[in-house]
Amino acid sequence: MENKIQQKISSLLEENLPLVDLNSEFLFTELDSLGVATILMVLSEEFGISLEAADATPKNLSSIASLAALVESKTK
Amino acid sequence: MILEDYLRLSAQKHPGKTAIVCAGKSLSYKELWERVEERSRHLHKGQILTLKNSQDIEFVVSYFAIHIAGGVAVPLEKDTPDTVLKSISASLEGTILPQGTADILFTTGTTGKSKGVIISHKTIIADAENLIHGQGFSHDLAFVINGPLNHIGSLSKIYPLVMLGATMIILDGMKDMEKFFQALDYPAPKVATFFVPATIRMLLQLSKDRLGSYADRLDFIESGAAPLPHPDMLRLCELLPRTRLYNTYASTETGIIATYNFNDGRCKSGCLGRPMPHSRIVITPEGLISCQGDTLMSGYVNDPEQTAAVLREGTVFTSDLGYLDDEGMLHLTGRQSDVINVGGFKVAPSEVEEAAMAHPMVKDCICVDKDHPITGKALMLLVVWGADAAGFSARDLASFLKERLEGYKVPLFYEEVPEIKRTYNGKLDRKFYQR
Repeated sequence: MENKIQQKISSLLEENLPLVDLNSEFLFTELDSLGVATILMVLSEEFGISLEAADATPKNLSSIASLAALVESKTK
Repeated sequence: MILEDYLRLSAQKHPGKTAIVCAGKSLSYKELWERVEERSRHLHKGQILTLKNSQDIEFVVSYFAIHIAGGVAVPLEKDTPDTVLKSISASLEGTILPQGTADILFTTGTTGKSKGVIISHKTIIADAENLIHGQGFSHDLAFVINGPLNHIGSLSKIYPLVMLGATMIILDGMKDMEKFFQALDYPAPKVATFFVPATIRMLLQLSKDRLGSYADRLDFIESGAAPLPHPDMLRLCELLPRTRLYNTYASTETGIIATYNFNDGRCKSGCLGRPMPHSRIVITPEGLISCQGDTLMSGYVNDPEQTAAVLREGTVFTSDLGYLDDEGMLHLTGRQSDVINVGGFKVAPSEVEEAAMAHPMVKDCICVDKDHPITGKALMLLVVWGADAAGFSARDLASFLKERLEGYKVPLFYEEVPEIKRTYNGKLDRKFYQR
């Protein structure tokens, strides 16, 4: 079951990155630099957290679940 | 002399100096020259050769090797669909080019249709000398190239670096920003780089402090290809008070024309500086920027009509609106064409529409711009779906377009509309959508 944060991230990214396959097993490889920056900025704004370039690792950006984990680690 | 003569000289004068660094590999000038010479021996003399930009050492070696073999290099987008590559190669077969042609660079350019711009060896040398004089490229510099090498913006950085025996560090884009900062740590006395405005926006938003920590390492940063918002200019000056920050006027057709160090205490908005030594600027009575000098293209390949429309009597007439201020500095005020600038990549909406109309489910469409927080503008396609398009998604259309267009020409946003407005004579009513 997806949790609430995951659902929120999914809908945010569907809106801002309509061409990216969010359910891809390798989300990071689907993204270009614009996609990476868009994700960091959209999530920073939505969740009131501070994400920066160093957070844009392939591991953190591998799936919606890993993005949710990143957001949760920053809000704690 | 052509650029490759300077490469040979740099290999003689500074054999052990690092010429190129990319993905953990590097070559000294001696090694680079040997690789280039070796590859050129396997090429037929005087051919026109297309090559996809692999954004690595191999691409740079091939580029130089083609020139040494007396050939013409046609570098294409990394993600160019094979169908496009084949049709470009076929269209160039048997083409007679002017004496001294070095490259054909494909661009959407000033009039708005993908065209091959003919670049001469003389142009390359003039661009190199303009940059050395205008921005202070030096022998002890390591320059980080993070943009695509098949475009003038990044390709032209190779020219002064080779001429001076300096170091080029090639990155495959800015997706992994950590790699970019590692590149800035390269052990050279000075580092410099080129960013499109979208990348500057991205770094200011996401890595401001990190970028600021390089204030004493960064000799200069150049921006160009799209207007740099004034607030971003001011923030950059504040962050990097001792770094020269250039805003440049350049295009494939005109070459590198003018540059302005906006970290001069005045930070003049929209200013692009004075023409560089090989260039002159004339504003037409209509207020359009036209350019003269050795950096100009030789024409469009196989298109005498378009060539005559843009290049006459040693002058390239652009679609950019601008003026020269009382200090002789160029200011850009707008653009008189339908071309949409997506983060520095110029896209002709008609080319996108033509590709989309080829899809059986698309009844009508128009490609417009939409504000985007990073790139300034993004492409949006408004679509009238055909009768049996139920269950068909924008994503399907996007993947259809990806097979036919370079990646940056594929719209990011899609919206279904009941109809597309046209003018009384049936043309797309672009003005209606430019609200």
